[in-house]
Amino acid sequence: MILVTIFLLSLSSLTFEILLTRVFSIAQWNHLSFMVISIALFAFGASGTLLSLLGEKRAGWEERLTRSRPLKVFIFLYTATGLLSFAVLNHIPLDYFRLPIEPVQSVYLLIVYLLLSLPFFFSGLIVSLAYARLPERTGHIYWVSMTGSACGALLPFLLLPLLGEGRLILLVVILPLGLILLRDADQENTGGSRKSSHRVRTIASLLMAIGIGVILGAVNHPWVNALVNVTPSPYKPLSHVLQYPDTEIVETATSLRGRIDRVKSDHLHVASGLSLKYPGPLPEQTAIFNDGGNPLILYRRDAVGSSEEGRFARFTLSFAAYHLLPPRGHVLVIQQGGGLAIPCALSSEAGKISIVASHPHIARMIERHYRLPVISTTPRAFLAGTRDRFDIIHVDNSGNSLPGTAVLNQDYLFTRQAVSEYLNHLNPQGILTITRKLHLPPSDIIRLWATAYEGLESIGIDHPERHILVLRNWDMFTLLVSPTSFSDTGVLKTFARDLNFDWVYAPGMSKEMANRFNVFDTPFHYLALHDLEEAYRMGRADQYFKQYLLDVSPQSDHRPFPNRFLKWSRLKAIYKSTGSRFYSLAMSGEMVVSVVFIEALVLSILLLLLPVFSLSKHRSRPLLPLTLYFFSIGAGFMFLELFFIKALMLLFGDPIISLTMVLAGIMVSSGIGGFCSQWIGLKGLRYALFGLAMVLILLFISLDALVHHLLRFPDSLRYLFALLLLFPPGVLIGLPFTLGMRYLPESPAERAYAWAVNGCASVLAAIASMYIALSLGFPMILVCAFIAYVLAFLSMNNVDNLVKSITDG
Amino acid sequence: MKRALLAFVILATFLVLPAASLEDTPSKYRRARQRMVDHQVRLRGVSDGKVLAAMAAVPRHRFVPQALKRKAYEDHPLPIGSGQTISQPYIVGLMTEALKLKANDHILEIGTGSGYQAAVLAKIVKMVTTIEIKEKLHKRAANILGELGYNNVEPIHGDGYFGQANAAPFDGIMVTAAVDHIPPPLLKQLKDGARLILPLGNPFSYQNLVLITKKGDDFITKQITGVLFVPLTGHALDKNNRKR
Repeated sequence: MILVTIFLLSLSSLTFEILLTRVFSIAQWNHLSFMVISIALFAFGASGTLLSLLGEKRAGWEERLTRSRPLKVFIFLYTATGLLSFAVLNHIPLDYFRLPIEPVQSVYLLIVYLLLSLPFFFSGLIVSLAYARLPERTGHIYWVSMTGSACGALLPFLLLPLLGEGRLILLVVILPLGLILLRDADQENTGGSRKSSHRVRTIASLLMAIGIGVILGAVNHPWVNALVNVTPSPYKPLSHVLQYPDTEIVETATSLRGRIDRVKSDHLHVASGLSLKYPGPLPEQTAIFNDGGNPLILYRRDAVGSSEEGRFARFTLSFAAYHLLPPRGHVLVIQQGGGLAIPCALSSEAGKISIVASHPHIARMIERHYRLPVISTTPRAFLAGTRDRFDIIHVDNSGNSLPGTAVLNQDYLFTRQAVSEYLNHLNPQGILTITRKLHLPPSDIIRLWATAYEGLESIGIDHPERHILVLRNWDMFTLLVSPTSFSDTGVLKTFARDLNFDWVYAPGMSKEMANRFNVFDTPFHYLALHDLEEAYRMGRADQYFKQYLLDVSPQSDHRPFPNRFLKWSRLKAIYKSTGSRFYSLAMSGEMVVSVVFIEALVLSILLLLLPVFSLSKHRSRPLLPLTLYFFSIGAGFMFLELFFIKALMLLFGDPIISLTMVLAGIMVSSGIGGFCSQWIGLKGLRYALFGLAMVLILLFISLDALVHHLLRFPDSLRYLFALLLLFPPGVLIGLPFTLGMRYLPESPAERAYAWAVNGCASVLAAIASMYIALSLGFPMILVCAFIAYVLAFLSMNNVDNLVKSITDG
Repeated sequence: MKRALLAFVILATFLVLPAASLEDTPSKYRRARQRMVDHQVRLRGVSDGKVLAAMAAVPRHRFVPQALKRKAYEDHPLPIGSGQTISQPYIVGLMTEALKLKANDHILEIGTGSGYQAAVLAKIVKMVTTIEIKEKLHKRAANILGELGYNNVEPIHGDGYFGQANAAPFDGIMVTAAVDHIPPPLLKQLKDGARLILPLGNPFSYQNLVLITKKGDDFITKQITGVLFVPLTGHALDKNNRKR
């Protein structure tokens, strides 16, 4: 019974965890979904701590608690707390923005945190009990736990589009209880009393029927809808738009990549970077939202182009590059939010327009709306696989209007390698154009300029500064980059003057040109770029980036966080320069992660220290190496998993797809490793750790080149090779835990403690990985995994002696 | 049982104490309001006597939700529900001053929100037309403005993008709704020499204000920085600034 239970609970709890990250992404903000991972891992750790505390007080607990009845109680508690926590999460008036000013919000947050941890606690409790009770079957337990989790990782991929977040959560939370009860009824039917069997079967059937009815939408009661519907944060653009009169969602599609809502309204008026000189009306618009944010605007097809209303595109900053487009030129639009690129291309009467959008559903919507072919793949993969050359590459992504909320988002469109790729796909006179929000203090504009500069350098351009132009209005800026130097900018000067746009950067421009129409007290952006250009010319760029208030250095494929600007060393100065208000900093996702890390550290210390005082003092082996060993392999596992999730995102093209595929791949392969450990002795552990270290070194040397090579492959092959890459390290990381768990702890209580240590290490490593990725890049996460496994090796401290002591014992 | 009771008492005290710190008395609010004007608005450089007097007179706490009343005069924006905010007092002062208001002016406000900004404007000018597209917000603000006797405020439920052509031209326009461009119809409804102002960024961390002045057929756009961003040299509440 226990192996089946573990499989079902592992499947259910991992699906629940992934779905909760989706719920947080919609109902709160993306970076808050990070909290869910820490909650789940902590709850696992806490279950181990509880059992190890219990273990030293009462003999035989592990045997009693793994009997059928207690297990059923735990499964029931898992289901009950899962349902309760989701219902509370969906209805509690938790408002992240009121947290600093309303004490009761901290209580709401605490309630959410504690309630959400309960189902994971009960799930972890059963796994921990199994390890404590059956050390000789550690490999089997690990195998079913990991394969269950792998199935759980894939389940949302298949069922989310059919059921949506809320209904799928109900399904996976009810599933273990329903199946166990049905199975139980069958068993009792063969061996137990007929009356009891009938009762259990009735309860199970009823539960499953209600669950299936709710899940499939057959029970369409307002209460049920209120329970399962996930509402976007009221601060998100979708929530605002839906408050307009006669506005409705006309199409919704849910998938792992996000919830897509298409909204129709007569009151949408979006035209970023529109000149004050534009006198006319805007075309009718519809908006597409991803998780309630990141709106993409689609303008009425027949009004875009050469019509009166369609002229509006020619009055936007984004149109600058199109003044340099040769007749019948070929435009590539990389569509990621925004929406002005296609109207610009259509208004320019380009000869050919190619559009790439990574989200398949959004790609279909654009295709249907504009009646233009849209390629649905990741832009980097498209570029790696095409030999086409373009006259304009237009990256349509206007950036985030809420600085700080997208800090943790990995984005491969604005790295040095991406710019090189764009430039390599331009005709000699071609232009890369990007229009983004203009922020103060200057941040994004500096980073993009520097990225363009280094991208130009990387393709062998001698004076990169002559190949870059930047224009702005009061709210947006446009960057133009070309493989050919901008010697004649007369057309653009006229365009800027006529439409009242200002220059921010052009080779040899005067300061007066920077502040003519949209006047700042000081031309901050011009001065910042001017200083940067000088720094590059003098070979002092590193010094410039070091001294600047914010982290504005160019990002690479190893550290693709274009929205991250916080410098911890300059926190005080940043706080002062942004008006000494906590709010502006509290919005940062990085701040949230740091708070979660501090909290995780305190909780870990508590969970790890509590059992130390209660575990038996009569051990034949010291506790410290055991603790260090399980801490190291827990951290190592998580470092490696996080490394793959981040490093392979370039191949998978989407963070949540990367998360799902890597989780599934790693769990299946480590499960195989764990299963094989049943036939391996403790001596094999040393070889496994050595082999793992070698594989990690190999990955460190070769993965980057391999990933960039695989980028050229079609989607299916890319996914397949990425999964194959996970297999060797995955199998090897399945061995240290299972072998360690079987041989190293002396008692069930110690095994439970080892489980707690493993859980705490996992959560700390998960959060630390985020920081390492943000500040040092992904390869350093791999280095940390390597160090962790070396530490594990060392902490065994003379394995031979240990084996000897076990053999002697 | 005793422990549980003790925990309950501690928790209840934790929740109730802050709420009890600002009693719901008019004099208490008046003092808080005056402190707000003196310390948050005047000290940061807003010097127009009309604006300061208006802000000292308008009961800001009436425009925020009951649960946040005691925070109404603090130095930050406040969420007022449905994803809306009431601006930081300093921003309200700065935006109002930037319009260079005269007693006979007719001002158009786009985005009524809580109604507080309209109330401050109404204390200074002859007429305020304020348009809100979100019906719930419009009704709530209209009710409060009515209750407080602001008869020179005309709250309208509608799409502010098109302004109010039948009441145009205006002596000034204030856009407090989120926009990514200046609506062309609004520019047409400005009197010659009149001003249009809007804050940039999100309501929790405005970076600067954009002030547009109409001069014939041309528009001059001026960015008022220092609302939040003070570039590398100091910040708005530096000791030196306080001495001004």
